[in-house]
Amino acid sequence: MTSRPASGRRTILVTGGTGTLGVELVSRLARGSHASVVVLTRGTARPRPALPPNVQMLTGDVRRGPTFGLDPSDAATLREHITEIVHCAADTTFNRPLAEARATNVAGTQAVLAFAKECQHLERMACFSTVYVAGRTRGCFAEQDVGGADGFVNSYEQSKAEMEAVVRDAMRELPIAIYRLSTIIGDSRTGEVTGLNAIHHALRLLYQGLAPMVPGQETGLVDLIPVDFAANASHYLFEHEFSPGATCHLCAGAAGSATLGALLDATMTAFERYRPAWRKRSIARPAIVELETYELFVRSVEEAGNQVLLQATRAVQAFAYQLAYPKVFDNRHAGVVLARAGIAAPNVLEYYDRVVRWCVEKNWGSAS
Amino acid sequence: MTRVGIDALTYYLPAYAPTLSELEARGALRGPASTLAGFGFERARVAESESHVDMAMHAVRALLSETDTSPDEIDLVLYAGALTSSSTMECSPAPAGSVLRLRDFMDFFKYPVSRLQSELDLSNASVAGIDQQGCAAIFSSVRLARATLLAEPDVHTVLCVSADRLPHGTSREVVYNLVSDGACAMLMRREPKRNRIVATHQVTKGAFWDSGSLENEIIAAYFPTARTVIEDTLRKAGVTLDDIRWVIPHNVSLRSWEILLGLIGCPREKLFSANIRRVGHTIAADNFINLRDAADAGLVHPGDLLLLFTFGYGLNWSCMVLEH
Repeated sequence: MTSRPASGRRTILVTGGTGTLGVELVSRLARGSHASVVVLTRGTARPRPALPPNVQMLTGDVRRGPTFGLDPSDAATLREHITEIVHCAADTTFNRPLAEARATNVAGTQAVLAFAKECQHLERMACFSTVYVAGRTRGCFAEQDVGGADGFVNSYEQSKAEMEAVVRDAMRELPIAIYRLSTIIGDSRTGEVTGLNAIHHALRLLYQGLAPMVPGQETGLVDLIPVDFAANASHYLFEHEFSPGATCHLCAGAAGSATLGALLDATMTAFERYRPAWRKRSIARPAIVELETYELFVRSVEEAGNQVLLQATRAVQAFAYQLAYPKVFDNRHAGVVLARAGIAAPNVLEYYDRVVRWCVEKNWGSAS
Repeated sequence: MTRVGIDALTYYLPAYAPTLSELEARGALRGPASTLAGFGFERARVAESESHVDMAMHAVRALLSETDTSPDEIDLVLYAGALTSSSTMECSPAPAGSVLRLRDFMDFFKYPVSRLQSELDLSNASVAGIDQQGCAAIFSSVRLARATLLAEPDVHTVLCVSADRLPHGTSREVVYNLVSDGACAMLMRREPKRNRIVATHQVTKGAFWDSGSLENEIIAAYFPTARTVIEDTLRKAGVTLDDIRWVIPHNVSLRSWEILLGLIGCPREKLFSANIRRVGHTIAADNFINLRDAADAGLVHPGDLLLLFTFGYGLNWSCMVLEH
C-alpha cells in the first residue's frame, strides 16, 4: 500500500478543497511540491483565483459513497494514482439536523476511508476535525482526549466526534493523522473572510443590535484562529512532520486566545471605528450571562413567537452555548512541532480588528 | 447633607379588572392570552369611565386626605405621563381609527396639570408637566422634585403625580406586556419620614425613538442597558445588590424580570412581584404602587434599601435607590 505508483509521482486527493481552509491548503500543497493535486468538489463553490497547473478539479461528492459519484473507471484510475489524501470535506453548519450532519461528516468520512483502503499506494492521510469535539467539557482539553463525555453543544460537534471514532478505528489499517481545527475567523493579514460561519453571523446580529446577551464568563477564553495559520500549520504537519495515529490541535491555545469580554469590547470598538455612524445607534455591548439566564431568554423568545428575534437567537445559540463551557485547548504536541518551523497562532487580538473591519466594510461579504 | 425623599404616596386603580381571557375575547390582545399568562400576567385594570385626569385627582385627593395635608402646603406640582395623550385633556371615546380626540386646535392648550391644580385648589403651587419619557416619566418627576427641593429653599413640598389611561379600543398588549390604567401621587419633602432618595440615574437612547418600527431592536437593547443602569445606580448610591432588601419593579412581564435578575445576579426572592399578576403594567405608576403595597404588607422596614427600576420608550432607563 505504500509503494509509489509506476509514475513515481505524488498525487494528493483533497476533499473539501474549495472550502475556507481547503483553498488555502490546496494552494500550498500545489506550490510547495511537484505533486499532482486532485480537488474533489461538488461543483457548487464560488469562483476562485486561478490555481497552479498541477491542480485538477474533479466533480464528486463524499456523500455519494466510496466512488464519490465518479464514473467507476475514473474512480479506479484515481485510486491507482493517489498517494496521499487530505480530507477537509465537512458540513460545518452548527445547527444542522444531526442526521444531515452525520451524512457528510460521518458517512462521508466512511466513504473516504473506504476509498483510501483501496488505494494501493496510499502513504498518508489527514482528516480534519474540530477542537470542539470536546463538546460540553470544561477546563483543559488535550490532544489525546476524546471528548463528548459531557455531551455536545450542537450537531456539528457530535458528528465530528463520531467521525473521529470512525477515523481512529481506521487508523489500525491506514496511516492517518487527525488535525483538529479551532474556529477560523478570517485571514490575519487582510481580515478577509472567505467563508462566513456562526461567529460572523453573530457579529452581524451584534452590529444590527439584535444580540442582547451571550452566555459565558467575562474572563472565559475564546479560541479563534486565522485561516493562514490553519493552512500553514496543517500543511507543515502533513508535509514535514506527518505522524500516523497522531491527533494535533491547531488552535490558539491559552496564549493566543482572548477573553470573551475583551473580544466583545474589541468588536464594539471596531464597529465604531469603521462605521462611525453606527455609534449613533446606541447599541449596547451584549451582556455576558449565565447559561441559565440565556436559556430563559431563548425560551421567552420562542414562547413569544417573535420570528426576527427567534432567528437571531438561534443563530447566536448555535455557537454561543459553547461559550458557557469555558475551556482551554492544550496544543502542546502540535505546538512544539510547529514551533520548530516558526509557526504559531497569533493572538486573536492582533488581527481581530482587521476581520471585523472586513465584515463591516464588505457588509459581511454581500458587497464587493 | 440635606435629605430628600418620598414622604408619602398613594395610588388609584380602576375597579374593572378583566382577565386575560376576557381581554382576548374582546380582541384587546395582540397575541394569545396564554403567552401573557406564561409571562406572569393574569388581569389588567381598565378605566371604563375615568379619564387619566380623573384618576390623577383620585390619587391626589387620597394622598392629601391620608396625610392630612392642606392643599395650600403644595408648592410645586410635577405631573407626569407616559402617553402623549396624558398631556392633553382628551375627549373620549376617540373616533374609529384614532386613539386621541381633540375637539379643536385650542384643546392643545388645555393642560391636565392646570385642571388638577384648579380642581384640588392647590393655589400656592406652580406646576409643570413631565412627559416624553414613556414609563420613566414619573422617575424624572421624582428626580426633578429632589433637585428643586435641594436648590430652592422656598419649596417645601412637591406633589408628583403620574396618570395614564390607554385610549379606548387600543390593544392592552404592548411588547408582550399587559398594560393597565392607573395613577399614583407622591409628596416629596426634605428630611422625609421615609423613602430617602439615595441615588437616581437615567440613561436615554434617542436612537430608538421610533418605537413602532424598532420593536425587536428595543427588546434586544433593553437588557444590557438595564443591567448597566442598575449597576451604575448602585455605584452612585455606594451600595451593592447585597445591601438591597427589595427590588421594586415596574410591572413588565415577570419573565423579563427573571432574565434581568439573572443578568444582575440578584436572587429572585428580592423581587416584589405580586402585583405583576394581579395589576399588570400601569405604565408610569408601577414602582410606586408596588412600593406602597409592599409597605402596607409589612414587607418594608425602616432603613431597608430599595432598588426601583423602570424603562420607558424614548428609550429611557431609570433607576433609583431609596432608604425606607
